Amino acid sequence: MAPSATAPARGPWRTALADLVRDWTAVASFTVFVLVVAVCLLAPVYAHYIAHTDPFQSNISGTTVVNGKTVPLLAPTTTGLGLGVTPIGPTWDVHHYFLGADNQGRDVMARLLYGGRNSLMIGVGSALICCIVAALLGVISGYFGGVVDTVLNWFFDVIWAFPVYLLAISLSVVLLTNGLRLGPLTVGAGSLWLPVLIIAAVYVPYVARPVRGQVLALRGREFIHASIGIGGSDARILRRDVLPNVAPMVLVFLPLMAAINMLTEAALSFLSVGVQPPNASWGTIINDGLGLLYTRPVVAIAPGLMIVITAVMLNLLGDSVRSALDPKARLRGAA
Amino acid sequence: MKHPRIAAALVSVALLSATAACGSGGGASSAPSAPGTSQSSSSGSSAPAAAGYNPAHAGGTLHLVANAAAGTLDPQINYTLQYRQLYQASFDGLLAFHKTAGDASFTVVPDLAAAMPTVTDGGKTYTFQLRPGIKFSNGQPLTTKDVVASFERIFKVSSPTAGTFYDGIVGATACLKTPATCDLSKGIVADPATGAIVIHLTASDPEFPYKLSVPHASILPASTPGKDQGSAPIPGTGAYYFASYDPNRALTMKRNPFFKVWSADAEPQGYPDEIIQTFGLTVEDEVTAVENGQADWVYDPLPADRLGEIGTKYESRAHVNTLTAMFYAPMNVNIPPFNNLKARQAVNWAIDRSAMVKIYGGSNLASPVCTFLPPGFPGHVDSCDYTAGGGATWSAPDLAKAKQLVTESGTAGQTVGVVVQSDDVNKQLGEYLQSVLTQIGYKAVLKPISPNIQFTYIQNTNNKVQISISSWYQDYPAASDFLHVLLSCASIHPGTDASINIAGFCDKGIDGQMTAALTTEQSSMTQANTMWGQIDHAVMAQAPVAPLFTPKLIDFTSTKVSNYEFSKQFYMLVDQLWVK
Amino acid sequence: MIRFAARRFASTVLVLFAISVVTFLIFFTTPGVDPAARIAGRNADPATLAQVRHEFGLDRPLPVRYLLMMDHLLIKQDLTSYVNRGAAVIPQIEHAAPVTLSLVIGAAVIWMLLATVIGTASAATRGTLADPVMMAVGVVGVSVPTYWLGEVVNLLTQDKWHSGAFSWVPPLGYVPLTANPVQWALHLLFPWLTLAVLYAGIYARVLRGEILEALNEDYVRTARAKGLSERRVLIAHALRCSLIPIVSLFGLDFGALVGGAALLNEVVFGLPGLGLLTYNSLQNLDLPVIIASVLYAAFFIVLANAVVDIVYAAIDPRVRRA
Repeated sequence: MAPSATAPARGPWRTALADLVRDWTAVASFTVFVLVVAVCLLAPVYAHYIAHTDPFQSNISGTTVVNGKTVPLLAPTTTGLGLGVTPIGPTWDVHHYFLGADNQGRDVMARLLYGGRNSLMIGVGSALICCIVAALLGVISGYFGGVVDTVLNWFFDVIWAFPVYLLAISLSVVLLTNGLRLGPLTVGAGSLWLPVLIIAAVYVPYVARPVRGQVLALRGREFIHASIGIGGSDARILRRDVLPNVAPMVLVFLPLMAAINMLTEAALSFLSVGVQPPNASWGTIINDGLGLLYTRPVVAIAPGLMIVITAVMLNLLGDSVRSALDPKARLRGAA
Repeated sequence: MKHPRIAAALVSVALLSATAACGSGGGASSAPSAPGTSQSSSSGSSAPAAAGYNPAHAGGTLHLVANAAAGTLDPQINYTLQYRQLYQASFDGLLAFHKTAGDASFTVVPDLAAAMPTVTDGGKTYTFQLRPGIKFSNGQPLTTKDVVASFERIFKVSSPTAGTFYDGIVGATACLKTPATCDLSKGIVADPATGAIVIHLTASDPEFPYKLSVPHASILPASTPGKDQGSAPIPGTGAYYFASYDPNRALTMKRNPFFKVWSADAEPQGYPDEIIQTFGLTVEDEVTAVENGQADWVYDPLPADRLGEIGTKYESRAHVNTLTAMFYAPMNVNIPPFNNLKARQAVNWAIDRSAMVKIYGGSNLASPVCTFLPPGFPGHVDSCDYTAGGGATWSAPDLAKAKQLVTESGTAGQTVGVVVQSDDVNKQLGEYLQSVLTQIGYKAVLKPISPNIQFTYIQNTNNKVQISISSWYQDYPAASDFLHVLLSCASIHPGTDASINIAGFCDKGIDGQMTAALTTEQSSMTQANTMWGQIDHAVMAQAPVAPLFTPKLIDFTSTKVSNYEFSKQFYMLVDQLWVK
Repeated sequence: MIRFAARRFASTVLVLFAISVVTFLIFFTTPGVDPAARIAGRNADPATLAQVRHEFGLDRPLPVRYLLMMDHLLIKQDLTSYVNRGAAVIPQIEHAAPVTLSLVIGAAVIWMLLATVIGTASAATRGTLADPVMMAVGVVGVSVPTYWLGEVVNLLTQDKWHSGAFSWVPPLGYVPLTANPVQWALHLLFPWLTLAVLYAGIYARVLRGEILEALNEDYVRTARAKGLSERRVLIAHALRCSLIPIVSLFGLDFGALVGGAALLNEVVFGLPGLGLLTYNSLQNLDLPVIIASVLYAAFFIVLANAVVDIVYAAIDPRVRRA
């Protein structure tokens, strides 16, 4: 009567997916993450139809309506020596500067959404590039061994020994003034591809080394010997034996790297060597917000909170994916 | 902040250019003639010079904060206001600027020299008498040997102004060629027995007294090695000496035990027993520190978001002073799109100067300008070619007109890089300018660069900078300081970091007018100023730059500190603050 | 074993060499940053510029300049900064190192303690509500941008609540341990906590995973069969074995932090350590300081890597062949 005896095996992927769907943490974090992404992608809709502002145009002498009264966006101080101007704070009115204005009179809420678009794009984009490249290199290095392995390994060592932030900052400092020119390929100085590529490049060893380790372990296993024994070509072995066994590890890395890369991008933008104006990202908005920390803290706190929420969701998702794909986890009954 | 270094640079080039014209005739001993200039004095916060020294307030430690160190401590090389504010209390030259508040701070007074020099031989020979009895902070007595050695050292250490200020001394040309063996014994003849020092120049130079008053001409012990001393303090004759210097942590000055006041005008006794300047905090944190009483003064420009509370809650500790200075946006007239006159005029029409004033801190800290010479400056005439609705002063931008001009110029859609300093205020100004350029039809991109580098970066033509934001601070009132230095053909040096005519503007007609004005300065200052006013108008018709606003300086001090004095040369007189 | 260690050492040297070359190339071949003019000062005339160029060897071909710089840095040890002229670079690094060490060691003690407690408790209470709550706290810790947290901490302790609850918080900056131990600790308290938050989360999660895995191992089953209490099993057996991978992770992270990865924390709290030194030198394009601090940081990372590898090889012979 035991159902497992008669039901056909579902295979590791379907099992993992089923586990994932049953895990409420995974579902919840995935849902929140998708929600955040969706809202950020709708940034143009919000800016144009709801808030009626252009979040990339300075509006220093502009006005808005609060509680029926027209107020300037940047109000000069009228008391004391009359120094300084202060942007308006949160109005909690989606049509009129929901979270207030920043130093340039721009709508903080609209910029938050646009910034989210860029932060997510850079985080997820660089994670994808990083994982794919790292997986390839890790597999090649682990499988073929010999000189290729030595060279690639040494290459990983060099990149990884270079302190992550220092390498990223150095590359940014240099490339941001002049852009990147690799033969026919030109990447302009203000392009978003620069942070994506730099961050992806810097984290390749972080993913490639574990992948390589996994491939090394696999190479010694019987089923690989068997494939070689029956005359399988390298390509076939890689495709049918190695990659499917490496894929789970890479899949686990994906959300984790997305979170790490998002945080790195925010740090670089905070140091002014990440995303460049007029583009916005959560990191640049925090940077802007630091200049308003004492008067309008919401400008710095809001993007920080968004980063925390998104990174938490991605981390939880990564944990759940790891539990789902790791057979031993079922033994532990890990949450 | 860029301005102090510009001020110093300004002195060099301005004096160089003024040399040609301000000419002949007698001893140029005191203030430059600046007739009819209504230099509006600071808004009530710089008290007139304290009458005499008040020993009751001597003592205590003054704690200054700055975001970063300012490079070498060597007074003959350092070119920053940050340290010049400290050098004025620790080093002396033969002459010095009067250390007091107000307009008198531009007067030159005798310092290590006993009296103003006797100028003879058609302005080519200056005779000084060295004061006896002065000692360096290491106990060594000051002798004529030290004076000669110090001038030779200017060349040995390749001081930035060696070739521009002091090349007029006899023997300097050889020194410039082979600095290591510099010998000025023919140019500076010293008699140790009588203490007489005679300086021979190759040509008359009425600006020479100023050149002797700047820190590059400080008199140091003859035993000081002939190379940049970097962070190793050099003994000086001033009221304080540098006790220690770690560019990553702090700089300490203590009272010079061998100092006795010989001229309160040139080198007054200081009040604090110790002056410490610490580095490493962000400007926001520095302001918080002063508010909490953990520090006494912030060197760096104050962040805009704290101005509100500083001007209200801490009003009694905020000191606002007028400066004659200008923020402006030079446009490269030699490369697209701003090699097109209509494009440049469009930018002038489009910029909302009152918005920029808001960014800087509001109308109590800045005012919009529309001419090259700031208001209150000799030669300034109210006129504005680029304001909506016309008029003599700026009132509003005209975006429609600007867009139309851009379309007519055929430059619409081009990419424009705006190069600004990466500090808070300048970056905000840059973001605004970038937004305006986008509005009128360009694809504008902002490029913030470290303040340490930006000023030289925008001067180098190899970097192909199209538009940038820069500031210019006067050193003493003369229209030539602004117009001639920044816009003459002679100030263009392609491919170098020292091409101060950032716009690359070279108009033969206007150049000729400037030469005529410089010549007229020798006979009639009033007439010359009228000519400068006309040149200003002619320049603005060509619009090589977009003048933005004229700023004021604000100093924020702690409750511990009083007796704030503002000198136009050294700004806040650091050693005259009372800490007790 | 010796051969393994020797190979690792050779690899270390090679990696450091490669990093020095890469750094040199990144900065010395960047157009638009002529060091000579910046060293010579504003408005220097062409003669002065030529002098400076020659003195600093900037008119020589690229490989010669690289060798000259390495010579000044490693052999003569008199490399001077381009920005703070005359200030020797090595002493700057030597002054900055204790600050970073103070920050990192203090934070490390705190985060290891926190991680051990949270990770163990979380593993012990698995299945109850306490476990996911603690893990959630850990995840949040990992996801918070550390500089943002630092700025918020500063905002509260130095400004908003400084007159009330946090009046005992000293001004930002660093006080040497030898000068005043109490002030040293007080100044570093919030930097320690801010840095520890990030790592405590990571280590707690890893430790929990390791403990849970260890609890399924045979030797634990044996211990339970012998009748040991659950608490003794957890702490004396499972925890001890789970600490090994933690220690290796710690070695790598510690190496990276000492090398200057605590850059953002130092910037935010105004601590004149290696991170701040590096950051300032990058902003100013102070090339000698950049090369020196990057090499110093890389040295520590590579050293930590090598030590961890060698220790592992000593413990597990299989690793030596890989």
